[in-house]
Amino acid sequence: MDIADIVYGNLILVTGKGGVGKTQIAAAIGTLAAAQGRKTALVEMGDQTPSMNRIFSANIGYEPSKVADNLWALNVDWASALQEWIQRVVPIKRVVKLILENALVRRFLDATPGNREVVVLSKLVWLCQQYDLVVVDLPASGHAASLMAAPHRMLELFRNGPIADRGREALKLLGDPGTNLVLVAMPEEMVINETIETWQKIRESTPSLKMPLVVLNRAMRPTLTDDERELLSRLEGVEGGADTAEMLKAARWEARQEASTAVAMSRLTSETEMNLVEIPALSAKEGSAPLVRNVAAALARSSNLRSKGIK
Amino acid sequence: MIDKKRLIVCVGSGGVGKTSTSAVLGLRAAIRGRRVLVLTIDPARRLANSLGLSEFGNEETRIDLSSTQARGTLSALMLDTQTTFDQLIGRLAPDAQTREKILNNEIYRTLSNTFASSQEYMATEALHDVFTSGRYDLVVLDTPPVKNALDFMEAPGRLSRFFDKRVIRWFLAPYDEKRVFGVKMASTLVAGTSAVVFRLLGYIFGKDFLDELSEFLLLFKDMYDGFRVRHEEVIELFKSDATCFLTVCAPTEPSIEVASFFAKELRKRNYPRAGVIVNQVYPASGTKLDAKSLLGDAVEELGADMKSSVRAGIVARLGSAHGRFREMAEIQRGWVREVQSWMGPNDGFLVEVPRLEREVHDLSSLTEMGDLLLGARDPSRGDP
Repeated sequence: MDIADIVYGNLILVTGKGGVGKTQIAAAIGTLAAAQGRKTALVEMGDQTPSMNRIFSANIGYEPSKVADNLWALNVDWASALQEWIQRVVPIKRVVKLILENALVRRFLDATPGNREVVVLSKLVWLCQQYDLVVVDLPASGHAASLMAAPHRMLELFRNGPIADRGREALKLLGDPGTNLVLVAMPEEMVINETIETWQKIRESTPSLKMPLVVLNRAMRPTLTDDERELLSRLEGVEGGADTAEMLKAARWEARQEASTAVAMSRLTSETEMNLVEIPALSAKEGSAPLVRNVAAALARSSNLRSKGIK
Repeated sequence: MIDKKRLIVCVGSGGVGKTSTSAVLGLRAAIRGRRVLVLTIDPARRLANSLGLSEFGNEETRIDLSSTQARGTLSALMLDTQTTFDQLIGRLAPDAQTREKILNNEIYRTLSNTFASSQEYMATEALHDVFTSGRYDLVVLDTPPVKNALDFMEAPGRLSRFFDKRVIRWFLAPYDEKRVFGVKMASTLVAGTSAVVFRLLGYIFGKDFLDELSEFLLLFKDMYDGFRVRHEEVIELFKSDATCFLTVCAPTEPSIEVASFFAKELRKRNYPRAGVIVNQVYPASGTKLDAKSLLGDAVEELGADMKSSVRAGIVARLGSAHGRFREMAEIQRGWVREVQSWMGPNDGFLVEVPRLEREVHDLSSLTEMGDLLLGARDPSRGDP
């Protein structure tokens, strides 16, 4: 299974350790899907500083904003999702207001653990009915795992009633053949450790959820030959000024990146069952929007998707 | 900071070396003679990784510092939510029967185990516990990445509002107010509105949910005050002189944005700010360098036994690698300038830490990072 298969599904959940470029990959997948003609929603999860604002130069809120052909972006914060939930059950605005403006109710809803997870998952269920594809930039891996586990636990707790219904819907969506979770990693030992752990954890807690792909971001495929590596290491002993040292340092870092990439690729392939897609380290010089388009083009090249329409 | 403060809270986005920074500060303070605990509420095993341990759990684990001539001690604690919760119930339950009932209550098990926000509640409890235990001179708290760190800072407030008697009374009123507080509702008006809203909530969330929750709250009835008092104390602690907040970021656009968001939030809450650490900065001078003139001769000499294409390849590679390095450093300098532009007079220091050549995961790499962060001074004298 590659990226081409999953953009023709209904839901893609994207997670990974913080700092690996999760949002960038989610935005690139959304951009790529939209370029294939899929009506796509790109969802950030209630971030108070939505990165999508920067990428699409727009002010992204709870209501979807059109950011490109076939592509809408939105930021699902818990309070708005809760309001929508209540509105769907009680379709009278004044009553909803009465409920939400009651300070005691607010405190109760605000402090009850689990409320957030269920309400937010319900919103994803609705979005999946409205769009061909929903791409979600989930929280960092630790918290994403507990979000994924929430509906199952809710169902253990409540067998009947509205919460159980929502839980069942969410669970059905997570196990749907059109739903896929994509992990994002980069070639660093700690990141790879956490990626493998997250894969194991979600596989245990939510066995019905498919995790077909891991995206290795900022990968540097080994290009140095053995001779070149040998010559570089001989150069380490050269006496020179600060400039010489700086140049050698730059080359040494890249050589190390190449080695880490090789290790990351072999560990991800041997210790998980996910297919690996590499995204090369791309220049961030022009800012985040062109970078996202370049990542989308790189994703397209990893499969047989059209990259036409991305630029 | 590491000599005087009693609590340092490290905040920032993920993957910027927050955990390593926490460990570095803890290690340096321990070397300087304090008894230090580094507390992480991160569900991942980063702290263990940074300290070169394969694993440690919900117990305070003493780190072996025999190789460092430390005068103090360094311990680490990674919160496991379920265990912390259970221990807390064990400590607080008024009698064995209540304790068993709670530990076996379904809603308790679900809440304590599954949901992200319970991690934050428990972190507050654990923080209060270690802080007041007298076992440590300094606690360094490593928070999870941004959104959750904010939850963490808000959790004490949220929870103490939740355990506000008025909320509990309102909530339990339709069930059994006498069993809870032994008082009637003060106003029939409140009771009237409550009853309507409560019925609506039952309609929205299901009566099952409300029933379960009421039972859960009843079981907790004798513990509310304790929870609330401790959480209020933690908020006071956050605002006090004994505490400082340290923002850690990397010189990238998303990370700087998160740091700026934190600066605003900390100012708004009036939490004391120690400063901003920009980690992982590429140490480039900014000058364009020519590979051939710097290293051309050395390549010819040291690669004399190799093909000329290898020698030419290396010269080209040195040049292009340095070009990318310089470009990256230039982009980063722009982000550091951005931090300077929004930092105010009360936001503390701005420190840049160069990117290390290896990942930080043992005491010696932590010491190296500590030297870069705090200066390589004789640990026994002078302020860092």
